[in-house]
Amino acid sequence: MTLAMRKLSLTVNGKTIDPVDVPETMMMQDFLYEYLNLTGSRMGCGQGICHACTVIVDGDDGAMREIRTCITGAHWFAGKKVRTVEGHATRDASGAITALSPVQQAFIEHFSFQCGYCTPGFVTGATVLMDELKRKPVRRADLEKTISEALDKHICRCTGYVRYFEAVRDVILKTPGLVKA
Amino acid sequence: MRARKLLGILILLIVCGAVLAGCIFAGLLEKSVVAKDVDQPLSPDQMKSLAQRGAYVAVAADCYACHTTTGGAPWAGGLPFKTPFGTIYSTNISSDPDNGIGNWTRADFHRAVRDGVGKGGRHLYPAMPYASYRKMTPEDVDAVYAYLMSRPPMKVANPANELTFPFNIRQGLTFWNLLNLSGDTQTKDAARSDVWNRGRYLVDALAHCGECHTPRNLTQGMIQSDYLKGAMLEGLFAPDITKDGLTRMGFTPQLLAGFMKSGLSAQGAMTNQMYEVVHFSTQYMTKDDLDAMSAYLFGLDALPKDATPPAPPKAVPVAADVASSARNTYLGLCASCHGAEGQGIPHVVVPLATNASLRLTSARNLIHTTLNGIPARRFPGLERMQPMPAFKDVLDDRQMADLANWMRATWGGEPPNVKAEDVAEIRKGH
Ligand code: FES
Ligand code: FES
Repeated sequence: MTLAMRKLSLTVNGKTIDPVDVPETMMMQDFLYEYLNLTGSRMGCGQGICHACTVIVDGDDGAMREIRTCITGAHWFAGKKVRTVEGHATRDASGAITALSPVQQAFIEHFSFQCGYCTPGFVTGATVLMDELKRKPVRRADLEKTISEALDKHICRCTGYVRYFEAVRDVILKTPGLVKA
Repeated sequence: MRARKLLGILILLIVCGAVLAGCIFAGLLEKSVVAKDVDQPLSPDQMKSLAQRGAYVAVAADCYACHTTTGGAPWAGGLPFKTPFGTIYSTNISSDPDNGIGNWTRADFHRAVRDGVGKGGRHLYPAMPYASYRKMTPEDVDAVYAYLMSRPPMKVANPANELTFPFNIRQGLTFWNLLNLSGDTQTKDAARSDVWNRGRYLVDALAHCGECHTPRNLTQGMIQSDYLKGAMLEGLFAPDITKDGLTRMGFTPQLLAGFMKSGLSAQGAMTNQMYEVVHFSTQYMTKDDLDAMSAYLFGLDALPKDATPPAPPKAVPVAADVASSARNTYLGLCASCHGAEGQGIPHVVVPLATNASLRLTSARNLIHTTLNGIPARRFPGLERMQPMPAFKDVLDDRQMADLANWMRATWGGEPPNVKAEDVAEIRKGH
């Protein structure tokens, strides 16, 4: 059986990927692993439940969207701007990390994770939440509920979520403009 | 002279009309189908022996699904029904004397279930399917009464209905009853087999299938000439479950009986209100009863042995640009779970190639489900279906229309006639 191929080009972590032959039915997660060697988006359930595999798609309207790569075909991302967990930190010219993103830093400071398998998904989810709050700040009183609802779909088998939750609340409160009085 | 005469006739007509309306309103024209003998209470022994059978009758009549909220006290009611006239709540039918039916007599119960008139002459709203339960046998009503009275009392108050004027006047239902209640409660047809007759009784009286699957007229009464031919229900289409409709969806009598038992088949998983029906009712029904219902719905005197499914519909061609847009969407968003060929994943995700929603005349259910998703569901046995994500934020109207047209044409053999505007309407919740 031969796999039907189609050309795919897209932008991943700021780099343009030139058209490359990709099987029509390949999922994005496999594309990231097999073609780009980006293995940060974790394969947890493979069926859209755990959200360990999510990436950010930067929309034309500037808004970020969180997409599950295990259940979304690679070709669905054609022409789109994708950010995987490898693309959050600031890097120097040689590619070495010079600073973690505020969300990543907060997770480290709060000892949010244990095995870390779910962490790329949480980094993605929390980053998208902060992006949403930048455009639509919440009232302080609604913050806890907003965080729970936004990250509820992310599954973590180790931690019980408390330190993830506290880290996200902390970084949101520390970032000006996300919470209104 | 002439004018005076005309005026006189007019006044007479108005007076007669008013008197007639008054009579209707007073309930003088209501015909009870409840016989006098139920005024005689059942003995404690009768109550005890009837209760056990009553549990099964109540299951077949699916009382629980409406008279209990998710996580609420059993039989304590409180489930909201959103109607065009406001919200009605199901009532507490536990044996609690204050909030439930603890002090209802046998006769009170019979009149409520079959005439739609509760204790003290208070009219019930037809959200309670008394138009169907009217055909229940007195023996079955007794059995349910005995069973409910054997349930522990639940001290849960009934929420007040939120209906607009004039629908908040219960007595006004005398008019509805006059128009929509039939005096004919006969469900036996001597020319047909016992199986067919049992099926008809189950479908028409207990399971009250027509309440959702038969379209309603302006007064919200069931249109008998379109019996079971499918109806709109809360933004979705309750499919045609006549022989033609069922065959179109790909069911055989055997498959349908199995589908009512398990909630799963090649045609898909029971969704929306039918999910609750399987959950609380049909999964517990006996094989004989499910077979009888299926035989009746297919117009047969017995369930045939042969279970060969009808031939799949022939694909209808679609425009190349529609097909390519839709295939892209399908491979991008649907195929990982439903399979590149629409085959699904056994015990996890339903197949689409044989899915009933692609074969219905209306694409509404397919579009509604794709836009809004379905929560994770457990089915009888150890079956589980994973949640279906909502795609309303991912697909625009055009993409959704293309996808629906391509899937329905390719697998369902349906003409690709969905327009982007149709999707927009369904998206808005119309
Ligand atoms: S691996 Fe994608 S949601 Fe679990
Ligand atoms: S830290 Fe191990 S799964 Fe979340």
